Amino acid sequence: MPSPDLLALVVTLKMAAITTVILLLIGTPLAWYLAKMTSRFKVIIEAIVALPLVLPPTVLGFYLLIAFSPQHLPGEIWQQVTGKQLAFSFSAIVIGSVLYSLPFVVQPLQKAFEQLGGSLLEAGAMLGAGPIDRFFTLVLPLTKASFITAASLGFAHTVGEFGVILMIGGNIPGETRVLSIALFDHVEAFDYAKAHVLAISLLIGSMILLASVYLLNLPRRATGKVN
Amino acid sequence: MTQLNLDFSLNYKAFKFAINQTMDLTGITGIFGHSGSGKSTLLRAIAGLEKDINGSIVFDGKALIDTSKKLCVKPERRNISLVFQDSRLFPHLTVRDNLKYAAKRCVNSQLNITDILTLTELDQLADANVDDLSSGQKQRVALARALLTEPKLLLLDEPLSALDQLSKTKLLNLIVKVQQQLNIPILYVSHSVDELQQVCDNMLILSQGEVINYGNIHQTIHQLNFLCASLPSEQLIHQQTSLSLPIISTDNGQGLMKLALADQEILFPRLPGKFIKAQQLRCFILASDISICLSEPQNSTIVNHLSGSISAIESSSIDKATHSVLVTVVCSGQEFFVHISTFSQQKLALSINQPVYLQFKAGAVRTYLY
Repeated sequence: MPSPDLLALVVTLKMAAITTVILLLIGTPLAWYLAKMTSRFKVIIEAIVALPLVLPPTVLGFYLLIAFSPQHLPGEIWQQVTGKQLAFSFSAIVIGSVLYSLPFVVQPLQKAFEQLGGSLLEAGAMLGAGPIDRFFTLVLPLTKASFITAASLGFAHTVGEFGVILMIGGNIPGETRVLSIALFDHVEAFDYAKAHVLAISLLIGSMILLASVYLLNLPRRATGKVN
Repeated sequence: MTQLNLDFSLNYKAFKFAINQTMDLTGITGIFGHSGSGKSTLLRAIAGLEKDINGSIVFDGKALIDTSKKLCVKPERRNISLVFQDSRLFPHLTVRDNLKYAAKRCVNSQLNITDILTLTELDQLADANVDDLSSGQKQRVALARALLTEPKLLLLDEPLSALDQLSKTKLLNLIVKVQQQLNIPILYVSHSVDELQQVCDNMLILSQGEVINYGNIHQTIHQLNFLCASLPSEQLIHQQTSLSLPIISTDNGQGLMKLALADQEILFPRLPGKFIKAQQLRCFILASDISICLSEPQNSTIVNHLSGSISAIESSSIDKATHSVLVTVVCSGQEFFVHISTFSQQKLALSINQPVYLQFKAGAVRTYLY
């Protein structure tokens, strides 16, 4: 049996990895749509996407907890389809994380798509490339840096999540007990030594992740490449 | 002959465009107009890049768009390629990879990249980063890339506008060479009559979203001499005589070449390129570069004297304001246009059918094609 903290690390990484993949799958088309959108509703969708940036996580967690309970439609449907309760499950914290980290993925991608504009894509069309072809051969390579930023920010933000998970996940070892919650538990139990280990690991881990992203995204000239 | 039938309109808030025109696409067809006349819009509509079109575009018997039948072929499936004013090369790919991008998506490709690199004189630059190229080189890559899609119709949207004179000459020659070797019909948009005069067989003139003239290049340019006063693009047009004449001597021993105008001759400075006898040369003479004499000038450094007779004397609103007239003189069946002051006209008492001599310097015969 691995140590509870190691188990929490595994749950955390698993949650963050799955969340990041889902975020890229949902966030990319959403960001694309927002970048191309000209209607008035754009600001409303943008505001909804950005909401987790300003909302206390407990507010989001509270509403999700209600929605996930078997007495309400989303929770009820989930229970009928899977046979399991949604609240206080691993799936619940993944769904919560996706909503909570959405702006960290959508915003950099939207900005990148807006900057890319349509001119190179028109050129691609003139060379016989269809929309999907253009996405993989032009959009993806030309906005690679923003995809790396989006994925890393989404991942790091999910690892650092606390409030939402506490509300909808509870504290079930191996299922919903993530590092930030384990850290909180150690502090509650006055086990500062173990709390220090977790805190410093999260700090250094996040630091390394962000530094690598910024290093990867350095402009070419700074890495010595002559233009 | 390949035909292009255009019958559509476009309605934007600040701009309306409507066209109903059939064009026979032989060689290069010029599309001329001032900025905002709709010439780029027309190219983009043919390419499929312009949304909100109402009507139809039929190319070579096949409808590209027909809104009455709810039919619209996607731009990538039209087999038409557009070279943009700003090149739009893919910055993450080298020159060769930009070309490969086009070649890979061409069905049943016949051309190979190496041949096209040679044709467009890009051999040395094949592995260069596109950001390191000059504007002229970028446009050559854009042209090469468009050619590799082996389009049934090639659209050029002001391909020379960002280039210096030398690069312009080079690219114009290349466009002519490409058209002759690959035999692709080309639509060439420009706001420079001089540029179009050099390479086009026919020309369509647009003004404020409407066609105002279409026909043979020399005729439309000559008609433009009279139309230009009513166009907002008047400043862009140099009134001129557009010529295509056979070379009868490539060097007279004194650095001059000779063109035949029926039984008369036109001399002009020898061009650096290779020319052969009897080859047709495209050139133009600005109306402001020609003067009129009543008798044949004997003691003049000006080498070209042509005898003819006046067929028209016109004065547009702009001419009236500047006290000038546009005189049409027919020499050996060819119309020449001469811009002179009303002062001179009155001094010489010029009138219709009067026999006169035209004189102009060798250097007044202009061409970029060498």
